[in-house]
Amino acid sequence: MHIPDGFLDPLTASLLYLISLFFLYLSARRYFREGGDVYYLSVAAASIFAAQMLNWPIPGGTSAHLVGGALAAILIGPFGGCLAMFMNLLVQCLLMGDGGITALGANAFNMAIVDVFVGYAAYKALMRLTHNRFLSAFVGGWLGILTAALACGVEIGISSQLFSLNVTVPVMAVWHGLLGLVEGLITASIVVHLDRRGWFSRGHLP
Amino acid sequence: MVLTRALTLIVALVLISPIFGVIGAEAVGYTEPLEVTAEMIGLKEKVLWPGLFPDYTVSGLPDVLGYVVSGLVGVAILLMPVLLRDRLGADKGSG
Repeated sequence: MHIPDGFLDPLTASLLYLISLFFLYLSARRYFREGGDVYYLSVAAASIFAAQMLNWPIPGGTSAHLVGGALAAILIGPFGGCLAMFMNLLVQCLLMGDGGITALGANAFNMAIVDVFVGYAAYKALMRLTHNRFLSAFVGGWLGILTAALACGVEIGISSQLFSLNVTVPVMAVWHGLLGLVEGLITASIVVHLDRRGWFSRGHLP
Repeated sequence: MVLTRALTLIVALVLISPIFGVIGAEAVGYTEPLEVTAEMIGLKEKVLWPGLFPDYTVSGLPDVLGYVVSGLVGVAILLMPVLLRDRLGADKGSG
């Protein structure tokens, strides 16, 4: 879902840079004010970076890899999750050219903000309703990816000269709605596994 | 201990990653949904900054090895705060 250079028009790209910088500033302020530690950001970012290298090729010509925004948010909180996802995106962009340098704001918006905060909100809401951690994390992971893909579809749709939202939004939503099921499953499995090892009761959260 | 386990897991993920990211990818010849969508509406990629390791390759190294090496460099950069602090902490403890 990493947008390369050349897909976005300058206005969309710069607007998303501004929005993302604003969210990153707010997240950093909240995270460190609440006693958050760089340690968690660093380990979370490196784990997600490594996990994203595992592209699962799907016969028929597409691929899925974990994005991990909701997962990071559930494990270290949404503000830390936002910062860790951005650190990951920054290294991917500068080191690997994965995600364009002009599209970094947009990629941060989709994967470090939308995926993180929507996924986390869905997880929290469902936890309150059902108290089922697997289900809540599954839906959080799935919805985070789906909404991030919708945002991505809108961004490239309004950037195209054909203004083709009617193509980009449904195509991105259908693909990532399906691939998101894998994301949900991985998110839920890791969250439940760590929960059994006392992640949420031992106060790992910053 | 938690950190050692996390670091071991991260390095293990990078070491097995070429099976998925290089070998599997070449076997299937995949594209991401975003690329499919962009092609449908005629958007073209313009590379402005290829990165130090373009698309997880290291010039002069075979793809599988380049994938692992570039991945380890990425992981090392992201873990810098932890690695540096543990070194500093250890120095303080022994000194």
